[in-house]
Order: sequence, then C-alpha cells, then structure tokens
Amino acid sequence: MLVAGLTAHSAFSIFIALSRMLLTISCLKSSVQTYMRVVVTGMGIISPIGTGIEQFWNAAINGTSGISNIQCFDASGQRSRIAGQITGFDPTAFLSAKQVEQTDRFTQLALRAANLALEDAGGLEGYEPRRLAVSLGSGMGGFSTFESSAARKFQNKSAPPFTVPRIMANSAAAWIAIKHGLKGANLTCSTACSSAGNAIGMGLDLLRTGKADAVVAGGAEACVLPLTMAGFEALLALSTGFNNDPMSASRPFAKGRDGFVMGEGAGILILEKEEEAQRRGAKIYARLAGYGCTCDATHIVAPDMDGQVAAMQAAIEDAGMTPDRVDYINAHATSTPLGDIVETKAIKQLFGEHAPEIAISATKSLIGHTIGASAAIGSIATVMALHTGTIHPTINLMEADPECDLNYTPNQAVQKKIQTGVCNAFGFGGNNASLIFTTL
Amino acid sequence: MDTAELEAKVIAFIASKVENADASKITTASQFEELGLDSLDTVQLLFDAEETFGVRFDGDEVKNLRSVGDIVDYISQHPPASSS
Repeated sequence: MLVAGLTAHSAFSIFIALSRMLLTISCLKSSVQTYMRVVVTGMGIISPIGTGIEQFWNAAINGTSGISNIQCFDASGQRSRIAGQITGFDPTAFLSAKQVEQTDRFTQLALRAANLALEDAGGLEGYEPRRLAVSLGSGMGGFSTFESSAARKFQNKSAPPFTVPRIMANSAAAWIAIKHGLKGANLTCSTACSSAGNAIGMGLDLLRTGKADAVVAGGAEACVLPLTMAGFEALLALSTGFNNDPMSASRPFAKGRDGFVMGEGAGILILEKEEEAQRRGAKIYARLAGYGCTCDATHIVAPDMDGQVAAMQAAIEDAGMTPDRVDYINAHATSTPLGDIVETKAIKQLFGEHAPEIAISATKSLIGHTIGASAAIGSIATVMALHTGTIHPTINLMEADPECDLNYTPNQAVQKKIQTGVCNAFGFGGNNASLIFTTL
Repeated sequence: MDTAELEAKVIAFIASKVENADASKITTASQFEELGLDSLDTVQLLFDAEETFGVRFDGDEVKNLRSVGDIVDYISQHPPASSS
C-alpha cells in the first residue's frame, strides 16, 4: 500500500513538473512567435507576363494572359501544346559563357529573380555573410538538362560534364549563394507544387530560430519540356482542349476547365527581422506572419480537403490569429477539374460564413502553373495586394463551375484595402503549405 | 585534312573556348593548365571538342590528354567515320 501510495504521489509530482515544463515551452513558443516579426524587404520575379515587380504587377492587375503556343521545342507530338513561357530571356546578360554552360534554365531564372530581389532590398551588405541564408523551392530541379542529357545517352553520345551539377535540385540555391556570397544555411525544398511555399516557410523558421539574419527565399522552375509535360499529360493533369486558344486555357474555377497549363518562372522574396530592417532603413512591403504545412497521407497525387484545411488553420494559428481576420486568399487553383473544387470546399470548411467575404484570386489563370515556383509568385501577388490595395483578377472566369461558388475576383481587378492574405500551395505527395502575409 | 590544317582548327577551337585567350600564343605545346583550365574545364573542353570534330574520347584516354597537341594527335589517330 505504502509503495503504491508513494508511486502514485511520485507520478503526480512528475505530472505536475511535466505540465509546468510544457506550459513554459508553450509560453516561450508563443513569445517567439509574437515577438519575432519577420518582414519582406525585397522582391524579384521573372514570369511569362513580365520581369521585375512593376512589369509583373501591371500585367497581373490588367488581367494579361502569358499563355501561348510552345515555341522552345517542337510540340507537335504533345497533347498539350501550350505553356506560360518566358521569351527573350538572355542569361548571358548576367552570366559568363562558362557559367551559362554550367547552369540549367531553372537556375538561370532563379539567379535573375534573386538579382532583382536583392537590388530591390537595397543590398544586405550590413549583415555577416554567414548569417545570410538561402531557402529555395523547386519541384523538378534541372529537368531541362535531365531531358537533354538523357536523350544524348540513349543515342550513345557522351554525357555533358556538368550534367549532375545542372540537374540537382539545390543548384539554384547554391548558385545564388555563389553569386552573392551568402554563406549561411543553403536549403532546397522539393515538395512538388508546394515547394516554394515550404521554402518560404522554412525561411521564416530560420529567422525565428535565430539561424539567420536574412533569407533569400522563393522558388524556380523551368519545365516547359517534352518529357516532363508528357508525364503530366499521362496523368491527365494538363489542359489539352485549348491548343487553338491558348489564352483561354488556364481557367481556374471556370466551367469547362480541363487541366493546368505548364508555366515557368522564378520568384524571390527577401526576408528579414522587422527591427533589423527598420534599423537599416529598408523599404518594408509586408509582414510574413505565419506558416502552416501538412501532409494528406492519403494519395500520391489526389488532393485532400482535410489536409488543406489543416495547413491554412496551422498558418493562421502560427500567426496568432483567428480565421475571421483573413480578407484575401491567393488560391493554389491550378485549373484542374478536381483541385479547384477541393480548395473551394477547404476554404468554406475553415472560414464558414466568412468565406464568401474573402477576396480570392488565382495567379495561375495569368501565367499557368509554375510548379515549384508557383507559391513564390503567389506570395509576391499576395504581398502586392497588401501593399497596393489592388487585387489582381482571376481571368477566363466568365461562368463559374457551380461547385466553385466563392468570390474569385473574376476578370477585373478590384480595389480593396486588405490586411491579411493567405497564399496556398498544394503539391503532389499530399503536401499542403499556407503562408500568412499581413500589413504592418 | 592534313596535320597543319587540323592543328590550326584545333587551336582556333581552343581559343574560342578559353576565356580571354590570345590565339596567337596558343601552340600545340600549350598545356591546358597553362591556359588556365582546371580539370573540370578540361572535361568540358573535350566534350565540346567531340561535338566540333566528330570524335569520341575514350573515358580512360581522356586523363592523358593534357595539351593542344594531345588533342590534335588523338583526332589524327581516331578520325571520324565520315572522313576516314
């Protein structure tokens, strides 16, 4: 009895001690979250509708489509013969001939966007190089090189010497570090179409945990390629019914949508602690306030509403908010028949009666799906909506799918002072990432 | 193609591949290292030479190719199928 009593008493004491410990940890966690404010101080983009923030944003709010017939390879044998392509891109404008030879197109796009973002941020020279991190997303990495080198190998020709360093997914992050002397953490996240969402979230975590003072975060992708697109075609994921009307093909939430349109591009955001950014007199676009990520753990390619709800909810909680504060969502919205319905249901599930009041827009209606770069470009659109008070339209939305019944900002930009925007990114593998941006 | 002609073509090719090269100073005796090429630059150069001259450098023999003259000799000894 005595032994049993002592045991029970000891167990109770341990329980109390553990509870106190957990409470302390949770208080510490919440104080870190509310105390450490992270802001966006620079942005750079290269996209099918423009290079640089101004050109991109003007095209976006005017509802310009960047979708056209594929020009970079003979697409006559493809079922989907359209894409959001970057035309007139000249990497020799900022890379030596040798560097061009050593880099895949996705790295070149990432470098261009990073140059623009760092220039926009006014430089990070005041920081210790070891405290400057890179956190980049790419779903496929250097697949242009993979396809061309594989074709050579199967024709019994030599493999180009830089085949591996061009293909590897972390080559873009590494080259950004090389070109700008960024000697801190250098991370690459490859979670398919949510890659950049996770990468920006990882950037937030690097700052919050004190592992970096500034982060070059974003994503890059260059997948307008015959084999990669044939693979997506085989999954019935790509639009094939608009080859003769490319600009109408990417139509998130619209009746008659038949799949996503491949796009390419890169988006980079410079993240810093607010007090450091203020100290150096940086321009501050918006605050990155929260990040949530989940895995459906159900299917390798099919989306799942519960996982999406959980990611958005986690991001909102991470930002120390409640769902009713959200007034804008940059939807993942790829224009696939199933995906847009599932995301609509997830938004309705989480936000309830508030859902119809939220302005939503789909950047992919303008540029197609840039896979691992899409959440970086979506984040830039979210930040610009907060910064300018203009929400870019979802184009090609003449008639909505009856199952997609929220306010998607159809066809015309809307002026609305918003304070809290969510950027959603959902990817193969059941990955869901949501980011919360706010005004200061 | 005679040897002198081949040498001239190889030298012109190498001059086009080496950053800030002075073609007049490149001879068959020039070592890749002297031209500022490291081992990775050299494999890239040989890869490009395969495309230009229609030859295929054998994996093991590549390690023994250290000078402009080595490439000239290799191409002379392994003429592409079309010109043999």
